Formats: sequence, C-alpha cells, structure tokens
Amino acid sequence: MGAFIDFFRGPWYIAVYTYREGIRKKTLIGFLILSLLVIFGASFISSYLDPTSETDIDLKLIKDICVATISIFGVLITIFISASVVPGEIENKVIYTILSKPVRRIQYLLGKFIGAQLIIIVNLLLMGVLFFAALYMRQGILPTLLLWSMLLTYFEFLIISAFTFAVSCASTSAVVPTIIGLFIYITGNLTEFLKDVQNRAGQSGKWFDDAIGWIANALYQVLPNLQNFSLKTQIINGQPNDPPTDVLIPNLMAYGTLYAVFGFLLAWVIFWRKEM
Amino acid sequence: MSIAIQTSKLTKVYEGSFRAQDVHALKELDLTINQGEIYGYLGPNGSGKTTTIKMMLGLLFPTSGTIEILGSSHVGSASVKRNIGYLPEGAYYPDFLKGEEILEYYGKLYGLGGKDLRRRMAETLELVGMTHARKRLLRGYSKGMRQRIGLAQALISDPAILILDEPTTGLDPIARKEIRDILANLRDKGKTLLISSHELLEVELICDRVGILFEGVLQAQGTLDELLQQRDVTVDVDGVDDAAVSKLAEKGLQVEDRVQSRAKLRVASAITAYEALELCRAFDLKLIGVAPRRETLEELFVRIVGAAQSTRRQ
Ligand SMILES: Nc1ncnc2c1ncn2[C@@H]1O[C@H](COP(=O)(O)OP(=O)(O)OP(=O)(O)O)[C@@H](O)[C@H]1O
Ligand SMILES: [Mg+2]
Repeated sequence: MGAFIDFFRGPWYIAVYTYREGIRKKTLIGFLILSLLVIFGASFISSYLDPTSETDIDLKLIKDICVATISIFGVLITIFISASVVPGEIENKVIYTILSKPVRRIQYLLGKFIGAQLIIIVNLLLMGVLFFAALYMRQGILPTLLLWSMLLTYFEFLIISAFTFAVSCASTSAVVPTIIGLFIYITGNLTEFLKDVQNRAGQSGKWFDDAIGWIANALYQVLPNLQNFSLKTQIINGQPNDPPTDVLIPNLMAYGTLYAVFGFLLAWVIFWRKEM
Repeated sequence: MSIAIQTSKLTKVYEGSFRAQDVHALKELDLTINQGEIYGYLGPNGSGKTTTIKMMLGLLFPTSGTIEILGSSHVGSASVKRNIGYLPEGAYYPDFLKGEEILEYYGKLYGLGGKDLRRRMAETLELVGMTHARKRLLRGYSKGMRQRIGLAQALISDPAILILDEPTTGLDPIARKEIRDILANLRDKGKTLLISSHELLEVELICDRVGILFEGVLQAQGTLDELLQQRDVTVDVDGVDDAAVSKLAEKGLQVEDRVQSRAKLRVASAITAYEALELCRAFDLKLIGVAPRRETLEELFVRIVGAAQSTRRQ
C-alpha cells in the first residue's frame, strides 16, 4: 500500500500543476466562454423575450443546441488539452527539469494524463451545470437524465483524450495530434456508416470493391463507437428526469475505460524511450 | 578518490532521415569525474557537451557505450536521479508559478515535504539571493533571476552531484562571482560538480579538473596543473611597429596582444629570455617588464581545439 501511494505521489503533483497551467490557457478559456454563452443564450434569451409563446418545438431546439454545444466545445477542449500537455512541455523545455527529477517516465505520463482529465472534467461540469440549471428553470423538473448524459459524455471524451494523448507523445507540436483527435472524434461518430459501407461493398466482385469493404470493416472493428455514448435523442424527446433507456451505463463505462487504458499504454510505448 | 561519474566508449548518433544526415555527436567518450571535485566540461559550440549531460540524466539514450553514476549503471532510474541536481541549458520553468512555488513543486518531485521542504526552500532561496523575489511570478523574472531560480531548483534536494549546463550565462559580473563562490562552497562541502561552460576564466578560477571536447572527441582531460604545463616568459615592450613585428617573429619572438605601439612578446622555448632581451635592445624597443607566465586555460583551449580543427581539415 505504501509503495502504491509512493508511486502515485509524483504523478499527482504533476497532475495538479498540469491542471493549474492548463486552465490558464487562452484557447481553453475562449472555448469555455463561447460554449457557456451559447448555452446561456439558447436557453434564457428566448424565454425572457416572450415566455408565454414558448412551444414544445422551441424547447426541443434549445435542448438540441445545448447538447450539440456541450459535445462540440467539450470535444474541442478535450482534444486541445490532450494534444498539448506533453508537446507544450517539450517545446518550452520544462520537461527537462521534470524528467531529470526522480520521476519515472510512466509517472510523468500518468501525471500529465490525469491533469488533462481534471481539466476536461471541470470544463464539462461547468457546461453541464449551466445547462442543468437552465433546463430546471424552464421545466421545473430536475433533469437527472442530464447527469447520466454528462457521465457518458465524459467517457466518450476519455477515449478521444487517450488516443490524442498517445499521438501527442510521438510528436513535438500539438498540430498533428489535434488533427488526429478530430479524426478520431469524427470517425468514431460515423462507425454506423462504416458498417453500412461494408454491407454495400463487395457486391460487384471487383478487387477494389472488396478492399473498400475490408477496410471499412477493419475500421469498424477497431474504432470505438462513440455514438453509443450519446443520449441526445432521449434528452431532446424524452422527459428530463427519466432514467436512460437503450443503454447499459456500466458496460459503456467499462468500454470507455478499456479503450482509454489501451490508448494510455500506447502513449507509454511511444514515450518510454523517446529522446528529449 | 572514488569516482562519481564515469562514461566509457560513450557514443551518440542523432539519426537523420538519411544516413548522410546522421550527426555523430559523441565518439567513444571516456570521461571520469571524481567525487568532491568541480569538473569543467569545455568545448566549442556543438561539440557535444549538452548531449553528454542529457544522456547522464536519461533524457537521451546512448547509441553505444556506458555511463556509471555513483557505481550504478541504471542511469535515468529514479534512484540514480535522486542524487542529481540538474540545471538545463537555457532557463525554462513553468512561468505561471511564483519563484517559491517552483521550488515547492520540484522539491515534492524529489519526495521532500513538510518542514524539510520548507527549510530547504528557504535555504536555497537565500543561497541564490532570491528570497526577495520568491513571491513574484516567474513571468516577471529577468534572465539572471531565472538562472538563479534554476540553480535553486537544482540544489533543492541537497544532491550529491550537481550537473550544471552553462550556469553563468546571462548573469552580470557580480552575480557570476556570487555563483562561483556558491559552487566552490558546495565543492568544499563534498559535492561533485560537473559544469559545462564557455567562460574559461571562471572555469580556471574554480575547476579542479577539466575536459576539452571537440566534435564529440575528448581532446584533453586532467587537472589544470597537468594540462597548463607550458611555462614561458613574456616581455612587455613599447615602440613596436609592423616592421619590428615581422622581424621579431622571424627570430622566434611572437607578438601577442598588440595595442598600438605596446605589445607583449612571448618567448618560446627555442630562445632564452636573455636572447629575447638582446633582440629587444637590437630593435630599439622600450622595455616595460619581464614576467614568467603559465599558459591560461583560454590559450590551452585555443591550442587544443585549434590543433584538432587543423588535423580535421587535412
Ligand atoms: N536533437 C538533435 N538532433 C540532431 N542533432 C542534434 C540534436 N541535438 C544536438 N544535435 C547535434 O549534436 C551536436 C552536439 O550538440 P550539443 O548540443 O551536445 O553541443 P554543445 O556542446 O552543448 O554546444 P553548445 O556549447 O552550443 O551548447 C551538434 O552538432 C548538434 O547539432
Ligand atoms: Mg550545450
């Protein structure tokens, strides 16, 4: 137990300082302010203009906008932070002063990764709390469904974060990992489409047709299906305090964690003999 | 005397995209740094000093060869790094932190905490003369202040070995003197210091041993007494003109440091001091002084590196 605590002590300090540095980044603050403005604007302005004329459609639209905002800005923040915590420190050479301390490389990576997660979680909470309050004020019902949605959204971000982080460990700037992160987010949300491609390919019998089907299938098998993590349809159409239907929360959490662990291990494999 | 750091046949190749672009930064380097000494690690720009130092900290990995630190070859492991304080080349620290927060952070990474840590923080801040600025953000530090905080963070755990990559760049003359005194003091307390530097005058003042590196090859290593053997005599004269310079050179008297008509004549071992004085009289030069002289480190450096450069060109 003592050894266990000792092992995590260094990472924890690194995580705390990573968090403190990260939340000062202007890009991140910009994204956050923008997203809060959108959520705030969408949910409050229309009702203050004319609360009596509110319709069901309006409410659906507002929910739609807010869910999309949290997802998009959340993922932008996730990718931006995950792509930059390590390359940023390589670029400004602070990494030399940290890795020369009695800290193992895996401890350093853990610290950076946990620090990034802290930032992502805090941002998600800020956006979620505003949306939660807005919905509650409109409908007078505690929107508990949103809490479940936040939880699942975090696990979606965790997967994207871990792989972006892994790519960032192989690069010296944040540009490439950011692009890859966006790619993972987009394709991860399109895996159903990949399945479709696979089903339709392979019918003409031509070799490239087969090849496309094969590639689509491979991507479908390997890429995480991020659509699973979305409760969007239910949030928009259902009651705000319903329990989530159609999803198995523990399974999704395990699924997300598994991908994240795999992504982190990949980061470690890339980083453990990296030359600084 | 026991050995603090030893490298044997240490070689580093930075691989480029093509074979032809490979940089052979270090070639079979054998360094020996004894415990309790200040070792001056010298060499022109790009000779491989920083590369060597980074390998000692596990930031880079040798292409071949070995490094032993305090008898352990697990270089880069936490247990070895625990004994090392490192000041990297160029001062970069998280600049959203205050001076004392940096020390706190780095102290914690060494496993310090509580009272111990606070005591060490106060001590090192005082030592490097930064107590007054400890509550200020690093962002607002001058170059010299960053360098001082850098030194403080290297010292925070009171390590047995200090590896300092150009510790006095960017410091004013008084600060240099202060830092030099601090370093000499640490040596007197039994610490081992490896200092890479271009400031040969400073190195000469405090280093016990030096190694001179050129293009990844150690050209010379030893104590200053061993290396700066060549003793000769200089004659200070006045009334030198261009014609005299060339004639004196023909006779084996080299003119150095000429300022208008005044010059120092270096008497090579081929002729005696008496002969040199005779020559001065013959050329009607005004004699100002005659002094025995030890080669300076700078001269040694120029001689060794110059020789290495010319053999490479051939
Ligand atoms: N990351 C790298 N990739 C490729 N080559 C490198 C790299 N780092 C250093 N080099 C090369 O290795 C050689 C040694 O560099 P190094 O930084 O060790 O020199 P140095 O002695 O510290 O020089 P200086 O006095 O300028 O600090 C140089 O030729 C340099 O160009
Ligand atoms: Mg250097």
